[in-house]
Amino acid sequence: MSISEKREKQVYTDPPLIQGDPTFHSITEDISVIPEKKTPTWWYIAFAVSFSGMLMLLGMIGYLVWEGTGIWGLNVPVGWGWAIVNFVFWVGIGHAGTLISAILFLLRQRWRTSINRFAEAMTIFAVICALVFPGIHVGRIWAAYWMFPLPNQMEMWPNFRSPLLWDVFAVSSYFTVSLLFWFTGLIPDLATLRDRAKGRIKKIVYGVLSCGWRGGNRQWKHYEMAYLILAGLSTPLVLSVHSIVSTDFATSLLPGWHTTIFPPYFVAGAIFSGFAMVVTLSILARKIFKLEHIITVRHLEFMNKIIMVTGMMVGYAYSTEFFIAWYSGNEYESFAFLNRAFGPYAWAYWIMISCNVFVPQLFWFKKIRTSIVPMFIISIFINIGMWFERFVIVISSLANDFLPSSWDYYSPTIWDIGTFIGSFGLFFTLFLLFLRFLPMISITEVKGVLPQADPHFHHNGKDNGKAGGQG
Amino acid sequence: MSKELIISGKQYWRSLDQLADTPEFRKFLENEFPDSLDEVRDPVSRRKFLTLMGASLSLAGLIGCRKPVEKVIPYVIQPEEITPGIPQYYATTMPFGSDAYGVLVESHEGRPTKIEGNPGHPATMGRSNAFIQASILGLYDPDRSSTVLEKGEERTWNDFISFWNSRYSEFIGSRGEGLAVFGGQFTSPTLARLKERFLSRFPNARWVTYEPVSDENITEGIRLATGRTLQPVYNFDNAKVILSLDSDFLNLESNNIANTAGFSEGRQLQSEEDEMNRLYMAESSYSVTGSMADHRIRLKNSQISSFAAAISRELGSMGVVVEGASNIDFNLSDASITKFVSPIALDLAGSRGECVVIAGRDQSPYVHALVFAINEALENNGTTINYLETEDRSLSDTNGLLELVGAINEGSVNTLMMIDTNPVYNCPANLEFRNLMEKVDHTIHFGLYMDETGVLSEWHIPLAHYLESWGDARSADGTMSVIQPLIEPLFGGKDLVKIFNLIANGNDGRSYDIVRGTWRRWLSESNFENEWKRILHDGVLPDSRSGNVRVRTDTASLRRLFGTYPQAETGGIELVFKPSPATFDGRFANNGWLQELPDPLTKLTWDNAALISPATAEELGFKNNDLLSLSSGDWSIDIPTWILPGAADNSITVDLGYGRESAGRIASSAGFNTYKLRTSFSPWVISGVEVIITGSKYDLASTQDHWSLDGRPIVREAGILEYKDHPEFAKEMVEHPPLKSMWKDHKYDEGYQWGMAIDLSLCNGCNACVVACQSENNIPVVGREEVEKGREMHWIRIDRYFSGAEGNTSDPGVLYQPMGCQHCEMAPCEQVCPVAATVHDKEGLNNMVYNRCIGTRYCSNNCPFKVRRFNFFNFTKDTPEVQKMANNPDVTVRSRGVMEKCTYCQQRLTRAKYTAKLENRELRDGEVMSACQQACPAGAIVFGNINDPDSRISKIKQQNRDYRVLEELNIRPRTSYLAKIRNPNPEID
Repeated sequence: MSISEKREKQVYTDPPLIQGDPTFHSITEDISVIPEKKTPTWWYIAFAVSFSGMLMLLGMIGYLVWEGTGIWGLNVPVGWGWAIVNFVFWVGIGHAGTLISAILFLLRQRWRTSINRFAEAMTIFAVICALVFPGIHVGRIWAAYWMFPLPNQMEMWPNFRSPLLWDVFAVSSYFTVSLLFWFTGLIPDLATLRDRAKGRIKKIVYGVLSCGWRGGNRQWKHYEMAYLILAGLSTPLVLSVHSIVSTDFATSLLPGWHTTIFPPYFVAGAIFSGFAMVVTLSILARKIFKLEHIITVRHLEFMNKIIMVTGMMVGYAYSTEFFIAWYSGNEYESFAFLNRAFGPYAWAYWIMISCNVFVPQLFWFKKIRTSIVPMFIISIFINIGMWFERFVIVISSLANDFLPSSWDYYSPTIWDIGTFIGSFGLFFTLFLLFLRFLPMISITEVKGVLPQADPHFHHNGKDNGKAGGQG
Repeated sequence: MSKELIISGKQYWRSLDQLADTPEFRKFLENEFPDSLDEVRDPVSRRKFLTLMGASLSLAGLIGCRKPVEKVIPYVIQPEEITPGIPQYYATTMPFGSDAYGVLVESHEGRPTKIEGNPGHPATMGRSNAFIQASILGLYDPDRSSTVLEKGEERTWNDFISFWNSRYSEFIGSRGEGLAVFGGQFTSPTLARLKERFLSRFPNARWVTYEPVSDENITEGIRLATGRTLQPVYNFDNAKVILSLDSDFLNLESNNIANTAGFSEGRQLQSEEDEMNRLYMAESSYSVTGSMADHRIRLKNSQISSFAAAISRELGSMGVVVEGASNIDFNLSDASITKFVSPIALDLAGSRGECVVIAGRDQSPYVHALVFAINEALENNGTTINYLETEDRSLSDTNGLLELVGAINEGSVNTLMMIDTNPVYNCPANLEFRNLMEKVDHTIHFGLYMDETGVLSEWHIPLAHYLESWGDARSADGTMSVIQPLIEPLFGGKDLVKIFNLIANGNDGRSYDIVRGTWRRWLSESNFENEWKRILHDGVLPDSRSGNVRVRTDTASLRRLFGTYPQAETGGIELVFKPSPATFDGRFANNGWLQELPDPLTKLTWDNAALISPATAEELGFKNNDLLSLSSGDWSIDIPTWILPGAADNSITVDLGYGRESAGRIASSAGFNTYKLRTSFSPWVISGVEVIITGSKYDLASTQDHWSLDGRPIVREAGILEYKDHPEFAKEMVEHPPLKSMWKDHKYDEGYQWGMAIDLSLCNGCNACVVACQSENNIPVVGREEVEKGREMHWIRIDRYFSGAEGNTSDPGVLYQPMGCQHCEMAPCEQVCPVAATVHDKEGLNNMVYNRCIGTRYCSNNCPFKVRRFNFFNFTKDTPEVQKMANNPDVTVRSRGVMEKCTYCQQRLTRAKYTAKLENRELRDGEVMSACQQACPAGAIVFGNINDPDSRISKIKQQNRDYRVLEELNIRPRTSYLAKIRNPNPEID
């Protein structure tokens, strides 16, 4: 072994992001073929199940409008129940998409390219699910639009001091920007599908959606700029939306809600849950669509690392809450937290702690964070744990507040449960439609991270090609 | 072609094209920036779109789910006295067993909506209780009977008259042989006169008066001691020491409003310098009076007689000789009870002529005779207790009932008239009245409801509600007042005067004339009309109180009597019957307000339960909601159990008045009929009842799940000695940093600034305020299931906390705290409402704008007192049409999906301000009262303008006991509380 060979071995080079020695064409083929080929049977089955869930959601909402909020398990003191828990849960899930699209884009984390498309799609669908809840949870659903600052003859404006109003603005702008961002990213790929389309309807639909994309230089230039600007716009939104959602709780004076740590803690929790959901979905997608070479274990490992970090942030927040509750010397505050851990909702608290703090610690082991089955199970646990985190925050704080006389216990009804399950129906209905009709991975961006995309590819292409082949 | 041009232009001539602004360049621009050009070219379409969007959104709101507006019909010819929108007040009287409560009824355009006490009447003094407040709902009860029935067939009143006339002429001949009248108690000059007429016309007939809950034992005890039937009236305001032997004189015993007022008078504290009375209470279950006690002696009901005997003997040893009591034999060995005897006796002996010993109606006549003798020895008779003639009264008489039953069994009764009574439901179980009904040829039932007796009777005649009746009544102290109708009978019922007259005189006279005929005795001949009008206006006949009777005990007969003094049965588990604070003896069973009224102690609604002490529950292995089977002799019932801290061990208490089979929609689903266990030989206490756990569960609906304050300074309490040492203790209980705002505060220093203070030393948790608020503010009844879910709607609730050493569930104290909206100046609810539906006004009221509310419930979440109530469903949707008439037209009826809460009776404030403005003056202090304040029999609630330094409320808020709950949150509640002070005997630890 010569010295030069030895040195070459010692230099660390990142393994290639895309495996299997792909070419531009093979990438186009692998991804475009998914919406083009005949609809597989499993899709019909999955869609039937999801669509039934969505119909159930509609039924649940219909009955709610007909009968009243009382069909849920709410009471006084617990004025917010599963609807708000679900809202925060779905908004939280909707965080990963924009984080991957925007922040990782700005930070030039090129591994995002394999997962950003459906993470963004997931974001949009999760936010749609989230948006269902604030609208239907109010007592007079037909008047919910009064939360918008609509000009009216009474000059009656919403109360700008209310965090619920901030929510309206935060979530709706987040949704708008995320949707635009997603669609902007889709345009070149939609053009690819348009160009490959055989049927007339497909040609028209993809043609309209691709907005006349021709791939010209000028278009690329504007496209890249638009994408960058949207990424810049989205970045503060990633941080703001869940911060604002957290102010629903933090600005109140309820022990257990009235906590300054909430904004960063909620953002960390949202990223945590969002990435867990991306892992869950991408494991399924790469398996079903045989995209293991594009969404590689390395991608999953990156995400698992983020999950581990944010999981520890969340765990740190849990312990800080307890410390501050004790340190404040405020008896209501101390009680609120002791009550969480040892009171009537202790079961929920310990589910939350186990799923969110203990389980992600398994990712310290490389073996676990690179093995598909364990990480799939862990991601499911995290999804469960993060739902329970919101449950614990919303319900245990409300159920046992200042005056012991008003304490009560909250139990959900079948309508609460049905609405929550139905929201998954809505989510998967949209997601399955997305998988069926749109390129689930960004063809353009994946091509961008291929070795061939490197302008210097031809200069020392052989070596790089080799490295690509070996990795 | 043009495309090529553009491309070529772009490649070579771009800047020149731009300079020249050629059509080609425009086209290029169009291609490059299609969106912005579009906007420039056609600005209208975009605006138009947005306009349409906005319009369609608001249209969507307009068409959505609004309630239809019902037609209103104006007066074509306006009656002279009625100004639409201005209520009128009429004085009348609510008869209640041997009591009569003078009331003022608010009437809107001829429909009564609200009842208050009559300030001129000695039994109410402007105050009221829960039953009075709720009786307005009974008027509009759609389940009341509305037709004359003969064997289930519809008949008319005239049909009945002709039936009765044929019987009547028959009885005239036989002088009433085989005729019996069975009625409830009354205290009415007219009814007494008609009864007398009946008995003189039919000397062979029987007239039996019986009520399941009555003062029979009390009057019997006094009769045993004195030889006369007398009515005791207590002057608690003069009493320094009170010993109650199981008498719930503040809540369920007779004349409770006057008792509460007097008792509260003796507990008023302006400062730590003041003195207060001391109350000892010996009881088995926890009562409202027991919760006010400074010392509560927890013992089995059957031991109370021994306890009374022990007190009398101890008094004797102190030189206060109780006549005839020296030879009473008793056994009382439990040290936890006997330790009280000597200090109590000493306390009583030290306050001769300034103390009261009182025993409950469930104690035997022996105990009442002994209590009379004790009071005699303590020189209380004639000072703190007066005994009055029982004029114009028909009092419950169990012996009479037994004779009637005997006569029916012999077959010597052929016509039984049951007036305002329900014997099939509430007569002692051993009499089996249901079977007796078959042994009588003609059973005639007069009742408000087609009840258990009505359905078995040959004839049923609907009775009129007291608000639909003419009549008269004497209160506990004999003061006379008139019952005048507020409304024509809604369901065609006939009033008692009419019925009594028909029975006695055989004609269908006008009640009005008959009552006036009676009153000619007291009013002057010449000026009758004017004096009559005066009485109708005032509601009372001045100076008509019955005369005090000075009676002496008869030593020899007492000695003889006490020779057979009953011995306590110590073994086994006893069962004690109590009237219900909600349905009383069952008469209010179909009243939704009362059914949903939380029991003062257990906070249970809609059901009665077997109340049991924690220790006994543990011993027997019972938990809350376990269905028990109680049996005694041949009778048994199933009833769920509820653990009540402070109840005596081995003693089970059950409320009467539930488990109705035929009394209407509300009553029939509520509770368990405990009359099935009650016998004529042990009407109040059954010793050695058999208790079996059935294994099934019955979910009781309680409005308060947590029982302890957990050491939180929410209710602040001290003994009077601590208070004297630390006058500022209430304020010192919470330390907090200086409360500062980030912004410039609103001053609230102009005009009226409303505030409230509630004296926790006086509040006894009786619930009068809760029902008053419900009546005033159109608060819906939600039903058992909704209460179980925690959705009751009461704007004011009474929080009940048990106090005492950690883990002491056997003998805790009880604290009450009425809790309504605190009207915080920095209201946390207002800040979080996204649509500004709850806002402050300049008088410091936290207002709720129902029209604006969309029901996010955020305000309720952020309310530290959790006093906001949410309409989870359209709770008023199924309100029967007739019941809507009970609504206060000054208060919005809330629909589904909106939040509501206490408004400090804003409608009353507004009306009073209008009146003052029309008269060009300021509001006077005390001119406007909140409904809770007005109803409170203890005078614990004070409301007024805190911006006026001379107002009563301002002065009360100056007191050192005044504190605001959760003040440390910087929310600045307008409602404050005066800390509770108890007066324990330092001799007792």
